[in-house]
Amino acid sequence: MIDMIEKEDSIISEEEAAQYDRQIRLWGLDAQKRLRGSRVLLVGLRGLGAEVAKNLILAGVKGLTLLDHEQVTEESCRAQFLIPVSAQGQNRAQASLERAQYLNPMVAVKADTDRVEEKPDEFFLQFDAVCLTGCSRDLMIRVDQLCSQNNIKVFCGDVFGYHGYMFSDLGLEHNYVEEKPKAVKPKTEESNEHDGPEAKKPKVDPSETTMIKKTASFCCLKDALEVDWTSEKAKSSLKRTPVDYFLLHVLLKFRTDKGRDPNPESFAEDSTLLRQIRDDVLEAMTLSSELLPHDFVSYCFSEMAPVCAVVGGVLGQEVVKALSQRDAPHRNFFFFDGMKGSGVVDYFGPN
Amino acid sequence: MLAKFGEIDLDTIDVSNLNRQFLFQKKHVGKSKAQVAKESVLQFCPTANIKAYHDSIMNPDYNVEFFRNFMLVMNALDNRAARNHVNRMCLAADIPLIESGTAGYLGQVTVIKKGLTECYECQPKPTQKTFPGCTIRNTPSEPIHCIVWAKYLFNQLFGEEDADQEVSPDTADPELSWNPADTEARATASDQDGDIKRVSTKDWARSTGYDSVKLFNKLFKDDIQYLLTMDKLWKKRKAPLPLDWLELQKLACPQEVTGTGLKDQHVLGVAGYSQLFSRSVETLRSMLADKGDGAELVWDKDDPAAMDFVTAAANLRMHIFSMNMKSRFDIKSMAGNIIPAIATTNAVIAGLIVLEALKILSGDVEQCRTIFLNKQPNPRKKLLVPCALDPPSANCYVCASKPEVTVKLNVNKTLVLALQDKILKEKFGMVAPDVQIEDGKGTILISSEEGETEANNSKFLSDFGIRNGSRLQVDDFLQDYTLLVNVIHCEELEKDVEFEVVGDAPDKAPTPPSSQEEQKNFANGNKDSAEPSTSSNAPAEQDDVLIVDSDEEPSSSTMDVSTESGGLKRKLHDAETGEASAKRQRLDQATADDDDDIIALD
Repeated sequence: MIDMIEKEDSIISEEEAAQYDRQIRLWGLDAQKRLRGSRVLLVGLRGLGAEVAKNLILAGVKGLTLLDHEQVTEESCRAQFLIPVSAQGQNRAQASLERAQYLNPMVAVKADTDRVEEKPDEFFLQFDAVCLTGCSRDLMIRVDQLCSQNNIKVFCGDVFGYHGYMFSDLGLEHNYVEEKPKAVKPKTEESNEHDGPEAKKPKVDPSETTMIKKTASFCCLKDALEVDWTSEKAKSSLKRTPVDYFLLHVLLKFRTDKGRDPNPESFAEDSTLLRQIRDDVLEAMTLSSELLPHDFVSYCFSEMAPVCAVVGGVLGQEVVKALSQRDAPHRNFFFFDGMKGSGVVDYFGPN
Repeated sequence: MLAKFGEIDLDTIDVSNLNRQFLFQKKHVGKSKAQVAKESVLQFCPTANIKAYHDSIMNPDYNVEFFRNFMLVMNALDNRAARNHVNRMCLAADIPLIESGTAGYLGQVTVIKKGLTECYECQPKPTQKTFPGCTIRNTPSEPIHCIVWAKYLFNQLFGEEDADQEVSPDTADPELSWNPADTEARATASDQDGDIKRVSTKDWARSTGYDSVKLFNKLFKDDIQYLLTMDKLWKKRKAPLPLDWLELQKLACPQEVTGTGLKDQHVLGVAGYSQLFSRSVETLRSMLADKGDGAELVWDKDDPAAMDFVTAAANLRMHIFSMNMKSRFDIKSMAGNIIPAIATTNAVIAGLIVLEALKILSGDVEQCRTIFLNKQPNPRKKLLVPCALDPPSANCYVCASKPEVTVKLNVNKTLVLALQDKILKEKFGMVAPDVQIEDGKGTILISSEEGETEANNSKFLSDFGIRNGSRLQVDDFLQDYTLLVNVIHCEELEKDVEFEVVGDAPDKAPTPPSSQEEQKNFANGNKDSAEPSTSSNAPAEQDDVLIVDSDEEPSSSTMDVSTESGGLKRKLHDAETGEASAKRQRLDQATADDDDDIIALD
């Protein structure tokens, strides 16, 4: 996935120009063309997955594959606006397909009902970007490693109650452009007669811009999650570290151990387990379990639709930026706390 | 969970909405937004109780009692007037209001609660940017000046003629004369016997049968030659170079469509634009003829001939004044005040709106915040920045207990109609004002009842004994709003300025900053922020949020291409650390663009 413009038909149809007008005016035609040439895999069609699907389909990617082996439950219908209420018992990806396709007929949307764990390596290589939601830590690490070796952009994201995160690995050398206003050359002082009111000086058109090329480097998910907190230096940086990073570790461990996320129906039991996992995880990192206060459990059950919208919006835009190679990507985590309304970008990984 | 929704929108669905307004599909283009939104929502939440109103929120049917039906109001509006109005209605009904806006990658949400927080009008908002007449008519220096000129020209030729939209050279330009008294004399002279000849542009055009060659030579040759005689203007500026139709046609070469850009993104040569000018004039002439006697056209960015005309005329003028010409695509952005919009920004802001709504509905309004969405994280790593809500401003001319304001104007030259339309409605956001003079007799100057005070409209304020120090009591019953206006008589207002509100920031174009400042200020509101074009103008490293009032022109619209000025900076305190965050600009824009949606919960 280097210069997609060469691969694809570079004429934008009138229909596309009309429909994408308001976004072409923001990110430019080149970016739109790159999007148009991109194939994306989206794993997991719960609330967050549906938001990301919607955002990418509206953006106008070439193709989006919806991969999910789970069935529609009553809860799915409430949090997920692509699944009709009548679809209980169906596969989630399939149930989402029709409405997803209606969002933009110009995108090739596909549903795949297989388990992501059972997909061979080659499966992933057909995509330009892969977005994993609701996946286990091990799976995410494995897919991230495979994909970034093959220049495929990797994104992970989840929503747990009021909290959500997204992670990106765009590879060791992600190239992109930034559009900046053209620098205004200072005018040299002309004669200093002042005969009359201040004459207006001619200006350089302020709307003229220039493209600046840049590069950013990303580490793999494994390294990002396995940061060493034992050193004094690491401990002293704790004050500036979003606590959500540790919350993520706890929730991913829960998911690995229980094969599911905390469920309101087993609130008491799951809360106890969560607190236990917190203690274990933080102890293993040689950190205080006070880092996550006792009541942290209250805010991480179930997927809240508005939190899915926020995280899905940020995540969706990161995918768009990476595929279009335009604008500085967030590096490498985004954490959203829906209680506080704060959204933080921070880097975790080797320096 | 949710009970009843009322949803109000005047607008219909357009194909350009479909990249983000996901409740609508191609098959819905042309239909009512409120109606289709309701139907789409019912698809995934059949138990929702939603009423859709295809209407303007400023319709007097939506009175305080109507608002009182709801526990909460959420705005997704795209214009200042509607926001001001809803602000007042929610204050009057004492209901919480969630305000929001987006533009490009940026957005914000805030909560307004009477007595607890600032209302929408507590902080003066930057007003629409206007340019001095002499800049438009004599000395344009930026593309936007030429675009404004072209839109004025459209109106003068085909639309509603407006005395504030002159296109011919301005002999009363203050720069022409060293001596202020001299300028005054010229201004008076030109009022009396016209700039060159006081024949209306439309009449002149009609007399030539809208002959495009004659029009071209008048506007782009004769008028420019006249400007050249005003030599003071060109001492420190590059002088304009007149064009000649015949000479230009000799240069004309066949159009090569090269490259893979959008057709609209190509920039033609000056000969090409002269031909476009001619073709569009002919089309518009015939459209006007088809409409019959006394007809007028209204400029619409989506009308091909109207847009062609402005593209051609603006570019010809840009070329004359040595500016690089622009593509139709770029000119459409500027002329049409198009604000770029995407699905993701709107999704984030919508999510934040709902989270604020949940706090209000659970009785936790003190947990509510103003939240800004930036394009890049700030120095404290925040992409989403929550800030504590500010308390009401004691001097707010809307929500203070006895709002009062002072206005400077010339009582001998201000018409009652101007007071009503330009001051009370446009400036102070009233919809149907009633005005009483505090003269001991309670003289009624303006009545909101149609026809009652029509006879007063063409009289001057001084005719009613209004003078320096007079006080006017102004009521808008629909908004349940009373404003006391103190009048100061002033004979020395600036050119083109009819009145001034004491305490307002000046709203004319700022003086050009040095090159350094211009880089920084770019994030704070590009002086020409009606031209977002294909770039987002917020540099990555800045903490500034730029949200622009779209006033994107609907199909039948007003002329003004005026833009938001680089406006107000506020110090906001980070909700968590209490630190003052970096200054940010707050302007206003729609979440959903183009609509007058209001969705409320019962």
